[in-house]
Amino acid sequence: MDDQTRLATDAGKAIGGGEGASYQPPQLASPSFVAPTLTQRVGPFAHELLLFVVLVVGLIWAKQIAPLFMTVTTQQQLLFNVWDLALLSLPMTYIIITGGIDLSVASTMGLSAVVMGMCFQLWHWPMWAAALMAVVTGTAGGLLNGVFVAKIKVHPLIVTLATYSAYRGLAEGLSLGFASLYKTTSVYSGFPTWFTNLGQKAFFAGPDLRHPHWYALSAAGWLFIAAAIAMGVVLAKGPFGRTLYAVGHNETAARFSGLKVGRAKLLIYALSGLASGLASLNNAAEYNTAQANMATNLELDVITAVVLGGTSIFGGRGRIIGTVLGVALIHETREFVSWHYHDNTLIRLVLGSLLIVAVAINALLGRRSSRK
Amino acid sequence: MSMFRAAVMAMAVSAALALGACGNNENSGSSTTNTAATGSANAGGKTYKVYLLPKVKGVPYFETCDQGAQEAAKELGDVDLQYDGPVDGHADEAAQLVKQWALQGADVIAVSVNDPAVLAPAMKDAQNRGVHVITWDADAAPDTRELFVNQATAEQIGDALVDTLAKDIDPSDPKAASGEVAIITATLTAANQNEWMKYMKQQLEKYPQLKLVDVEPSDDNQTKAKAATETLIKAHPDLKGVWAISSAAFPGAAEAIEQQGKAGKIQVTGLSTPNDMKKYVMDGTVKSVVLWNTKDLGYLTVYTAEAVASGKYHKGDTSIKAGRLGDRKIVDGQVLLGDILVFNKDNIGKYDF
Amino acid sequence: MTTVDYQPLRPPLTFRDMLWSLAAKREYGLAVLIALIVIVVSFRSPSFLALSNISDLLVYCTQPAIVSCGVMLVIVTGEIDISVGSMLGLLTAVMGTLVSSKTALVPGFGWPVWAAILVTLGLGTAIGIINGLLVTLVRIPSIIVTLAMFMILASITVKIMHRGNITDLPQGLRWFGIGTILGIRASIWIMAAVLIGTWAMIRYTPLGRRIYAVGSNAHAATLSGVSVMRIKLFTFALTGFLVGVATIVTTLGAYDNGIGQGFELLVVTCVVVGGVSISGGVGTVAGVFLGVVLLMIQKPVLIFLNLGPGWSNWDKAIQGLLILAAVLVDHFAGRRKKPGAGGGH
Repeated sequence: MDDQTRLATDAGKAIGGGEGASYQPPQLASPSFVAPTLTQRVGPFAHELLLFVVLVVGLIWAKQIAPLFMTVTTQQQLLFNVWDLALLSLPMTYIIITGGIDLSVASTMGLSAVVMGMCFQLWHWPMWAAALMAVVTGTAGGLLNGVFVAKIKVHPLIVTLATYSAYRGLAEGLSLGFASLYKTTSVYSGFPTWFTNLGQKAFFAGPDLRHPHWYALSAAGWLFIAAAIAMGVVLAKGPFGRTLYAVGHNETAARFSGLKVGRAKLLIYALSGLASGLASLNNAAEYNTAQANMATNLELDVITAVVLGGTSIFGGRGRIIGTVLGVALIHETREFVSWHYHDNTLIRLVLGSLLIVAVAINALLGRRSSRK
Repeated sequence: MSMFRAAVMAMAVSAALALGACGNNENSGSSTTNTAATGSANAGGKTYKVYLLPKVKGVPYFETCDQGAQEAAKELGDVDLQYDGPVDGHADEAAQLVKQWALQGADVIAVSVNDPAVLAPAMKDAQNRGVHVITWDADAAPDTRELFVNQATAEQIGDALVDTLAKDIDPSDPKAASGEVAIITATLTAANQNEWMKYMKQQLEKYPQLKLVDVEPSDDNQTKAKAATETLIKAHPDLKGVWAISSAAFPGAAEAIEQQGKAGKIQVTGLSTPNDMKKYVMDGTVKSVVLWNTKDLGYLTVYTAEAVASGKYHKGDTSIKAGRLGDRKIVDGQVLLGDILVFNKDNIGKYDF
Repeated sequence: MTTVDYQPLRPPLTFRDMLWSLAAKREYGLAVLIALIVIVVSFRSPSFLALSNISDLLVYCTQPAIVSCGVMLVIVTGEIDISVGSMLGLLTAVMGTLVSSKTALVPGFGWPVWAAILVTLGLGTAIGIINGLLVTLVRIPSIIVTLAMFMILASITVKIMHRGNITDLPQGLRWFGIGTILGIRASIWIMAAVLIGTWAMIRYTPLGRRIYAVGSNAHAATLSGVSVMRIKLFTFALTGFLVGVATIVTTLGAYDNGIGQGFELLVVTCVVVGGVSISGGVGTVAGVFLGVVLLMIQKPVLIFLNLGPGWSNWDKAIQGLLILAAVLVDHFAGRRKKPGAGGGH
C-alpha cells in the first residue's frame, strides 16, 4: 500500500466518520469508500452550481456598488491578470484528482523564465527558440517531479516541496551567477514586440482598439479556453480521465485492474510543468520581463482555486468546470477587493474565509446526507 | 432542494459578510481619506483622484510616507487620495494596480517603481488612457512618467551607504577605513536592492582597503538576517562593517551585533525610519542611519500630483509650490526633496516618523 | 487494501526489535551527515566548533524545533498544519502590541510580561483548537483548513502592525530569548524541555501511544476505543500552544510584520527530513530534532566555508537538493520496504 492509498484510506475513514466508536462494518475500511456528498444528493453539478450562483450574485452586487467595475472594458483588461493562475490550475486539477499535489508550479515558472531570458539575452538565440526552451524546461521540470512520484514513489508533497526550493533556487543561482559572470543584469527584458504582444494585446479585438469585441482575449486566454475544453472532455469522457479518478479513489485497485497508473502520473506532472512553461511565457510577455522571482507564492492561489472548485484534496473527485469557476471566483474577488476597497492587505483574508466557508458547506452537507 | 437553497444563501451571506467586513475597515482604516467632503479650500468643486502606490504596503517606511501624503491631501482639500500597494512587494501586482486605477479614471497615479521593466507597460497604458503618471521614491524610464519626486537616486543611496559606513568605521580618515565588510540584502532578486548594490560596489572602489566578503539574503526576514549577521561576525574575524539594506535586515543585523558584544567594534548601517532604529542608535550599537524625511516625501508627492492634475504645473517649470515645504526645485523633470539625512545619536531624537 | 497494516504502536521493546529498528532508522543517517558536515567545516574554520557558536546554532534551532514537535504529532496522525508561520507572525504581533507602552490603551503602560505571555499561549492554543475543530468536527481536510488559516492570520498581522515596528520590549520578556540559566540560554532550556517532554509523552503516556495508533490505522484505533477526533484535536491545540512558546523565546529585539514568513515550509521540511512519514504513523522526536539541526546549520556552514559573495545565490537550490537527497537516500536504503517497518507507505 502506498501513500495515495493511505491518504485515500484515511480520507475514507475521516469522511465515513466512526469517531463516535460505533461499529463499522469491515468493508468500510476499503479505500474506495467515500461518503455520499452534496454532489450525490442534489445532482451532479451542485457544487459548480453553488459557485456559479455565488459568482453571479457577487458580481451583480459588485455592479451595484461599483458600476465601473462591471463594464466589459474593465473586465477585459483585468482578465489579463488571471491567465497564469488559470493555466496552472488545469493540470493541478488532474493532479489533485489523483490524490497528489504540485507545490513547485510557480518555481517552475521562475526557472523557465530564467532559461528563456538567458537563451535570448546572453546567448542571443532567436526569440521563438528561447520561448521553446522555456516550455521544454518547464516540461522537464514537471517530468522530473513525475519520475519521483510515479517511478521512485515518493509522496508528491515531499517531492514538490523539494523541487519548490530547488527550481526557484536554480533560477536564482543561474540568473545571478551568469549575471556576475557576464557582468550583466539578472533581469531579462527587451523582448521583441511580437512576443510581448502575446501577453499584452487581445486577439480578435476588431478594428477599434479602444473598444474591442467583447470576446477579445490575449493568447493565453484563448489557449486556456481551448485547454479547459479539451482537458474537461478528456477528464469527463475519456479513458484517461477514468484512470485519474480511479487512481484517486483507490490506487491499488486501479493497478490491479490493469490501468497504467505510473504512466498517467508521469503524464500529469509533465503536463503541469508544460503549463508552467507556457504561463511563464505569458507572464514574461505581459510584463516584458523574465526573472527568477516570477510568480512567487502563486502555487497557493492555484491550489486554493482548484479546491474551491470542488476538487477533493484526497483525490477521486473534481471537475474542470469547477476549477474554472474557482479561478473566476478568486480572480473577481481579488480584483474587486483591490478595486473597491483599495486595500491589498485584505485579499488574503477574504480568500481564506471564502475557501473555508465553501469547503465547510460542502463537507457539512455531504456529512449530513451521509447520515440519512 | 431546501438544503441546496440554504447552502446558496449561506455562501452568499458569508461572502457578503466577508466583503462587508472590508467595508467597515475602510471607514476606520488610515489608508483611505476622502477629503473632498471637507473641502472648504476647494472652491472650484473639482476633486482630483490621486492614487499613491508604494513598493510594499504595510512596512514602516511607506506607512510614514502615507502619513505625509494624507496630511497634504487634507491641506489641499481637492485631492481624493487612495493609498494601496502589493503586500509582498511583487512588481507584477503593482502593475496590476496601476492598470486598475487607470481604468477607474484616476487623474494622477504616483508610482514608487519597484521594477522599471515590469511596470513600464502598465504606466504607458495609463498614459494612453489620459492619466498623469508620476513617480516617487524610485524612478522609471523618463518616457513613462511626467515627473519624478526625487528624494535620492539609487546612485546617491548607494554612495551615501558606503560613505556613511566608511566614516563610522574610521571617523578620523574615512578614506583609510580598512577591514572586511558584508551586505545583508532583502531577497537576491529584489530589484531595488540589486540596483543599490550595483552602485555600492562602484563606490566601494574609492575605499581600496574595504573588502566585500559576502552578500547574504535575508528574504526580508529579521530572524534570518540576524542569524546571517551573527555567523558572518564569527566566520570573518576581521569584519568591520555590515550594510543591512532592507527594512527587516537592519534591526536584525543590529540585534546580532549587540548580542555578539561587538557594538562599537563592528559598524552596521542601512536605510530605516528613525523610530524603528532609535533604540539601537541610542544604545550605541548603530552609529548612523541613512534616510530622508519620508513624511515630507509623501507630502511633496501629493502636492506634485495635485499640481500636475490641476494644471498648476506646466512642462518646463523650474519650481513647484509644496505647502509647508515652500518652493521645491524641478531639475530635468525631477522634483527635488532635499538631501539624504544621516541620523545619529545627536539628532535622531528630533525626528518622529 | 491488500496488506493488513501492522504498525508498532510505539518503538518496539525487545532487544532484537530494537536492533532491527536501529538499522532502519533515519536518525543515524542524519547524525552521520551532520557529523560529516561539521567535520569538514571545522577543518576549514575551527571557530565553527567554538562553544559560543554552538550555543548560537542551538538558538537558531529553538523556534523550528519547538514548533516541529507539534507539527510532527499532527503529521503522525495523518494531518498537516501549514498555518504555523502565519501564527508565529500573529502571536508575535499580539504579544508585542500588548507589552509595548506605545501601543497600550493607557500610553506608557503596557501589559505586564506574565499577562502577555499567558495571552500569547492562550491565543496560540485557541487558534490550534479552531484548526482542530474545523478538521475534526466540520471535517475539512487539514491542508485546506491550515492553508486558509495561513492566509487569514497573515492578513490580520499586517493590520495589527500598521503602526510600525515594535521596539520597546521589556527586559522581562527578552529574558526568554537572550537570558541565561547556568550559562546556557534560556531559550535552549525551553527547547530541551519541549523536546524531552514530547519524547516522554510519546514514550510513556497512553496519549502518546494513541497518537501513533491513530496515525498507523485510524480504523483500528477507533475499534479499540480511541477517539480519533479528540486525539487530532489535541495535536492541533498542542501545535498552537507550542507556536506560542516559540513566540516567547524569540531573540529579536524588534518585532516587524515579516516574522514567520516561510516558517511553515521550514518546519514541514525539517519534519519530513527528520523521517516523519507524511502518510502518518511514523516519526520520532530525535529524528525531527536532527532534521531541524541539518536545515538550520546549512546556512551558517555555507557562510563559514567562506566561498565568496556569489555563493549565497545557490542557497535555495542547495536546500532543495538536500531534501531530495534525503528522500532518495532514504528510498534506496529501502527503509520503507522492510517487512517489519510496516507496509504503510
